[in-house]
Amino acid sequence: MIISLLMIGLVLSGGFAWYMETKRSGQAKFIALLATLVLGFSFTLYIVTSPDSFADLVLLTNVTWISVFNIRYMIALDNLSNLLLILTFILTVVAILISWREITHRQGFYYFNLLTTIAGIIGVFTAVDMFLFFFFWEVMLLPMTALIAIWGHENRQFAAIKFFIFTQVSSLLMLIAIIMMAFLHKQQVGQLSFAYEDWLTLTLTADYSYYLMLGFFIAFAVKLPSFPVHSWLPDAHTQAPTAGSVLLAGILLKTGAYGLIRFVIVLFPQASAEFAPIAAVLALISILYGAKMAFAQTDFKRLVAYSSISHMGFVMLALFAFNANAFQGAVITLVAHGLSSAALFAFAGMIYARIHSRDLRQMGGFWRSSPVMGGFALAFAAAAFGMPGLANFIGEFYSLIGAFQRFPLITILAALGIIGSAIYGMLLFQSSFQGPVKNSFIDLSIREGFIAASLFIFLLVLGLFPNLVLQYSYNGGL
Amino acid sequence: MDLLALSMIIPQLIIAAGIVLAMLLVAWRRSQQLIANFTLFILILSLVATINGFGVDKLSVTQLLAVDDYSRFAFILVLSATMICLYLSKIMLKQVEDVHDEYYLLLLLVVLGAGILVVSDHFASLFLGFELLSIALVGLVGYCRKAPNAVETGFKYLILSASASSFMLLGIAFIYAQTGDLSFTQSSIENTGLTIPLLYQIGFMLFFSGVAFKLSLVPFHFWTPDVYQGASSPVAMLLATVSKCAMFIVLLKCCYTATNLAVLQHEKLFEFISWIAILSMIVGNSLALKQQSIKRLLAYSSIAHMGYLLIVVLISNSSGLNMAWQSVLFYLTAYLLANASIFTVITLMDRDRDVYLDVTINDWCGLFWQQPLKACLLIFSLLSFAGIPLTAGFIGKFYLVSLAANQSLWALLAALIIGSGIALAYYLPVIFSLFSQDQVSDDKHTVSMSLLEKFVVTLFIFTGLAIGIFPDAIGSVLQAI
Repeated sequence: MIISLLMIGLVLSGGFAWYMETKRSGQAKFIALLATLVLGFSFTLYIVTSPDSFADLVLLTNVTWISVFNIRYMIALDNLSNLLLILTFILTVVAILISWREITHRQGFYYFNLLTTIAGIIGVFTAVDMFLFFFFWEVMLLPMTALIAIWGHENRQFAAIKFFIFTQVSSLLMLIAIIMMAFLHKQQVGQLSFAYEDWLTLTLTADYSYYLMLGFFIAFAVKLPSFPVHSWLPDAHTQAPTAGSVLLAGILLKTGAYGLIRFVIVLFPQASAEFAPIAAVLALISILYGAKMAFAQTDFKRLVAYSSISHMGFVMLALFAFNANAFQGAVITLVAHGLSSAALFAFAGMIYARIHSRDLRQMGGFWRSSPVMGGFALAFAAAAFGMPGLANFIGEFYSLIGAFQRFPLITILAALGIIGSAIYGMLLFQSSFQGPVKNSFIDLSIREGFIAASLFIFLLVLGLFPNLVLQYSYNGGL
Repeated sequence: MDLLALSMIIPQLIIAAGIVLAMLLVAWRRSQQLIANFTLFILILSLVATINGFGVDKLSVTQLLAVDDYSRFAFILVLSATMICLYLSKIMLKQVEDVHDEYYLLLLLVVLGAGILVVSDHFASLFLGFELLSIALVGLVGYCRKAPNAVETGFKYLILSASASSFMLLGIAFIYAQTGDLSFTQSSIENTGLTIPLLYQIGFMLFFSGVAFKLSLVPFHFWTPDVYQGASSPVAMLLATVSKCAMFIVLLKCCYTATNLAVLQHEKLFEFISWIAILSMIVGNSLALKQQSIKRLLAYSSIAHMGYLLIVVLISNSSGLNMAWQSVLFYLTAYLLANASIFTVITLMDRDRDVYLDVTINDWCGLFWQQPLKACLLIFSLLSFAGIPLTAGFIGKFYLVSLAANQSLWALLAALIIGSGIALAYYLPVIFSLFSQDQVSDDKHTVSMSLLEKFVVTLFIFTGLAIGIFPDAIGSVLQAI
């Protein structure tokens, strides 16, 4: 019930914020922030006090929704979804704070969209009826697209349409796979079922399950994104408002990884094992290609966007290694990348607010006027290229160790991606904060400092005590 | 014909009697208000009679007609669409000075034609309904004589419609020549199975082409954008909903007989219809891409939607028939609702400006910030067309996709996915333009709506959302049939 209440609460407070904004401007952000904090806090309280260990999926709600197709409203939680939900709430707070000054027009509707996106994402992470999952998968797109299309940068409509079409077309493939699975259930058990738990009991023939697996895989690979279906990401990330980029990189990409973990690998173990070499090669290409492309960018946000492709490549490589270490590494990377890329996009937003440009060629020498900002930027760039002591290092290290046992050659090549990330990370930092002074501006405000400091603390704590996350068993794929 | 059989077609009889009475009414007193209310009364009466008949088993009324719950449901759709059209027509006709008794007569004739089509079980009654529908529609399409393209539009529709019906007639003649029977159910060809007589094949193809013209499937689609654009908005809505809905139902009634199901599985015919479906999905959507005129855009998108729907004609085994009927009726409901919603907004805009001016995407720029209610309705109906969750259109598409996946129609599914992808590239820009900040001129959307109009718009929004979120409301009714 708690999850449904969270979603309803988010949508209602979004609507309330929208309404109040029409009464008196400037109220929406307070309402949105307050609602997120209260709901996030109550969710944390719930999982801390809950007697369940969440090692396996705990079914919270199970109601008939569409009886014609035996579709049920089923919500369940386990450690993986809890972790991602907490990440979601943290990044929502960041997203609201980062929009505090940036969004000046149509604020009410903006926060409504922001909160409904979050509601949809929560649904994605918790739905265990596949139709319901698909429903949320699509619903979270709508407000996100609106965020890009209304509050984005100069080329926003094109980016929004591209983003939407890529996800929509790939998810239709997933829809077909979902329907085929439901019919398979009907053949074997006698009635349609879209429930995840029911599907686990199905016996799949080899050739059939390969195609079904591909249907799911393509949808998630687009969202992750993996080469060769990544091309929506640089556009969408670059054109989105800062909070949109934070949510996209921080959470929406994680829904793709989540889908791979929960559905592709678990539902189709044999087919995905068979597919693993191809997936590993795709992951390798994503890692190297993302790093190479990031290096070539002159746009701050575009650079970070391409680096996301590279980092998500590590996640995919690790997931298809079918190995406990790699899997743990993938989960840590998800969280770490969520925090660090969110931080980098937030910095892009802060710089944009000061010099109205994302062009690295127009930046330089910021350190002189704003050393605190420079310090944090260096720290986050270091986090992105996996400096020991920060969470990203643990994630990539575990991923590579695990993957090495399965794909030695590919892993060795993938490790080159880390060198690449150091190069573009330094490029990013040097061209903006060092070199000849091209701009000078005021340092971080308290609000911005709070965002940067809290994200950094999370990264540091996870980097030093990775057991905070690793102690929970994640039994996906093993 | 006994009394029971007669009671099956009471809704159609009510409409027929209504037409006669309406003519007498015109002779007695010419008043637009009076005849509009009278038409509404007849429609409601017929609707009540149809709903009242629900649950009665399939029954043949003479050789010509057979009434079952599917046709009743379809007739309810037709009647509801006509009522919405009536409401819109009243708004539209206020702009033009004359008294318009004949408009309402023609409207009732269209309903009668559609009513015959949805219950027909025989090629003769099919042709009767088809002609009744077409001729009345020709009158309606060219009705506003002062509109810039009225005559051209009317003529285009008349000539193409007439040639379509002659093709159809020839096809029917070929079928008759082969089987010696015009009934859908009883006609049987001698060697069913792989060898279907050539004459029957050609006959069926010609017949299908005639229907395809009405459904505006590629390559019989050329009239659609011009006629949509040239006709007044309520009539365009009538074309999009009533005419297509009725034609599709009669096509299914004809195809879903033991003989024709076997005939459709014949390699050449299957390919023929598959290609028409695939081309409609792709070409229809592609042509809509750069359209500026909303009505033309809707016309092209309707081509694609009929292409999607054509999937159900190609099912191979009779076990899927119930599912197919449910899919079609659900899809048509969603399609009809979305069309009605958009055309309501278009008509309301027409009223605020010059009636004969074409509505373009530019006219909707920034609508969301000025008239959120109308804009919300537009957004939901466009999303419904695009098949995005929360809307009825998504559930309709889900029905179709599950049917096609169950029947292993992979080529059609691929076309559906590509088509939906292309479709997003023109639905989304329209939606985005509603949010546009750039060209918001102050005077453009200032005319306020009356209470009734607000109520109608809100009703549409809620109905659409309700069906989209709780599709069981319609789905379980259809399942029970």
